[in-house]
Amino acid sequence: MSIELLIQAALNGFGLAVVYILVALGLTLIFSILDIINFAHGEFYMLGGFVTYYAFAVFGVNYFLTLVLAVLVVGAAGVLAERVVFRHLRGKTLNAFIVSLGLLWVLQASAQLSFGVLDKSVGSAVSGIVRVFGLIISRERLVVIVTACVLMAALYVFLKFTRTGQAMRAVAQDPDAAALQGVNIEAVSALGFGVGCALAGAAGALLAPVFAVSPTMGALPVVKAFIIIIVGGMGSLPGAVLGGLLLGAVEGIGTLFMTSAAVNMLGFLIVIAILLVRPRGLFGVA
Amino acid sequence: MTPRRSLATLIVLALAVVGTGPAPAAEKTLTIGLLGPLSGGAASYGVELQRGAEMRTDEINKAGGLKIGGDVYKIKLVAYDHKAQAAEAATATNKLVFQDKVKYIIGNAVGATCNAAQTITEPNNVMFAFVCWGTANLAPEKPYSFRSILSQWELAEPFYHWIKENHPKIKRVAVISPNDTSGKDTNTAVVKALKALGFEVTADEYYERGTKDFYPVLTKILAQKPDMLDVAAAPPGEAGLILKQAMELGFTGAKGWTAGINPFTIISVAGREAAEGVWSPANINVKSEHVSPAVRKFGEVYEKRYGEVAGVIAVGNYAAFDVITQAMRRAGSVEPDKVLEVLTRERFETVWGSLVIGGKETYGIDRQFLYPLIISEIRGGKVVDLAQVLPAALKKK
Repeated sequence: MSIELLIQAALNGFGLAVVYILVALGLTLIFSILDIINFAHGEFYMLGGFVTYYAFAVFGVNYFLTLVLAVLVVGAAGVLAERVVFRHLRGKTLNAFIVSLGLLWVLQASAQLSFGVLDKSVGSAVSGIVRVFGLIISRERLVVIVTACVLMAALYVFLKFTRTGQAMRAVAQDPDAAALQGVNIEAVSALGFGVGCALAGAAGALLAPVFAVSPTMGALPVVKAFIIIIVGGMGSLPGAVLGGLLLGAVEGIGTLFMTSAAVNMLGFLIVIAILLVRPRGLFGVA
Repeated sequence: MTPRRSLATLIVLALAVVGTGPAPAAEKTLTIGLLGPLSGGAASYGVELQRGAEMRTDEINKAGGLKIGGDVYKIKLVAYDHKAQAAEAATATNKLVFQDKVKYIIGNAVGATCNAAQTITEPNNVMFAFVCWGTANLAPEKPYSFRSILSQWELAEPFYHWIKENHPKIKRVAVISPNDTSGKDTNTAVVKALKALGFEVTADEYYERGTKDFYPVLTKILAQKPDMLDVAAAPPGEAGLILKQAMELGFTGAKGWTAGINPFTIISVAGREAAEGVWSPANINVKSEHVSPAVRKFGEVYEKRYGEVAGVIAVGNYAAFDVITQAMRRAGSVEPDKVLEVLTRERFETVWGSLVIGGKETYGIDRQFLYPLIISEIRGGKVVDLAQVLPAALKKK
């Protein structure tokens, strides 16, 4: 097996990983702030895909403007979900878990009724391929990788250096102490849920032209996101990045040596091993 | 006998004659079940299944119903969504058999759901005419099961025979399918046909249903430099993504889709450039000169009613419904055992043309619908028919 092939496989895996990481970052952000495992997270990814389909493919809005629109629409949907549903379930982990499962089915069924059940092609925003030292990547995927990296960097800056971001981290670490310091817990929770969902929406919007959109498109990314945050540590943002890169490498390179079923199994075997050996994940806090 | 008594006797006799004359046909309801993935990744199959059945149901009901013996049956179609999942298929079949009390089920989509449905239909003597490609779905121990569309076993050999004759430069073929019963069976049939015809199989690969990113598996496949890539049993959406991504990774060879149906979805998802030149023996262009006038008429009515072009599944399920109801009329009964006897013995005129049921050499029992297949090519975003070929089993009939 040539080195070139291995590097191509690693590049394929990295392309996958950055999108999984976006979805996982949103999921883990919501968990860290609200202590809620949102099983409906994939449906916000799907919503981002459909915003792109209608704005870009149907109404011909500029693709990059569409991305911004998807982030805003899905972020707003997230804030709405927090205010209407999840706010009342803070601290009730089991109830929130069941409600998020219910929300998953409601959103998916609503999408099927509204958008139809068939795959919808969005069409390429940018076409052509880039060849570097024998490696091939489509321009479309290059845009996805670069945009996802920019979004991750923006999230880092937001959480690290802005007052609101610091408030979010404070709530994630200790909500009572944060409240005593004057942080508006309810506003931060709503914003945190919105930002988390917006990240999923951004991932859906980025991948809509690469794949196709359908009401069930969120099922697979959310499973991958759960693997990533369990491996990286629930609530840990660096953990989500590392977990995503690890999963991308396993899927990209692993496929060269084994069947797709075995590769999928390998992802779950890693999760089982991590839960047995280090239950809090690589970067999780006990 | 006095004249008065004679008259009374005549009146009584006349009334008796009137009374024993042909009774008005009693109108009854015949419920037929439909199983299919009406949502989820394989929904394009289910939607066509349902529409094909709906069209035949409406035709029969508008014509006054199905006359069988002294009874007239209005057809009632009851449809359930199994999302292409085996557990859902078992639940839906249970509902049809025990709740709706159906004796006939048509539809389905993939091998795994077909297996699940058969565990309920066979023990309960429910006739099941399905569209799916699992080899083991037809067997002597499953006498109530029929396949109403050509399977990979009828398609692969004539397809690659045609390729060998018309494109002799193609020597190395890679095959990829979903990792389930339909996929495994299709790859098995394709690989067997390829080897028998002297092709080299560079990849016999599988992926998990629902996969969107095929770069990893395609990188492995394309490293073997095949002359042709066959997306064998991939459903249209996934087949479109495979072809699109193969093109992105630099593949410029020939493209095939042995068990491929619904080419318009593949064109939509892959884009015209990536879908250009895809050959398939399973597609149908309902507007083509190669199809019968009946198929063309079906296509016109379908497009007018649903606003989309009919695919092979819609035609197949329409034909399945038609064949079963024809067999009921000829049997003079709606009892599956009597209908079964007629089905396996006689020839039926359908939208496909003259149709027979065979397949004993492949499956050990005659339960496969046999009709001519058409090899088509996607050209400029349209489906162009290239040739009509007979499956080997039909030649023998």
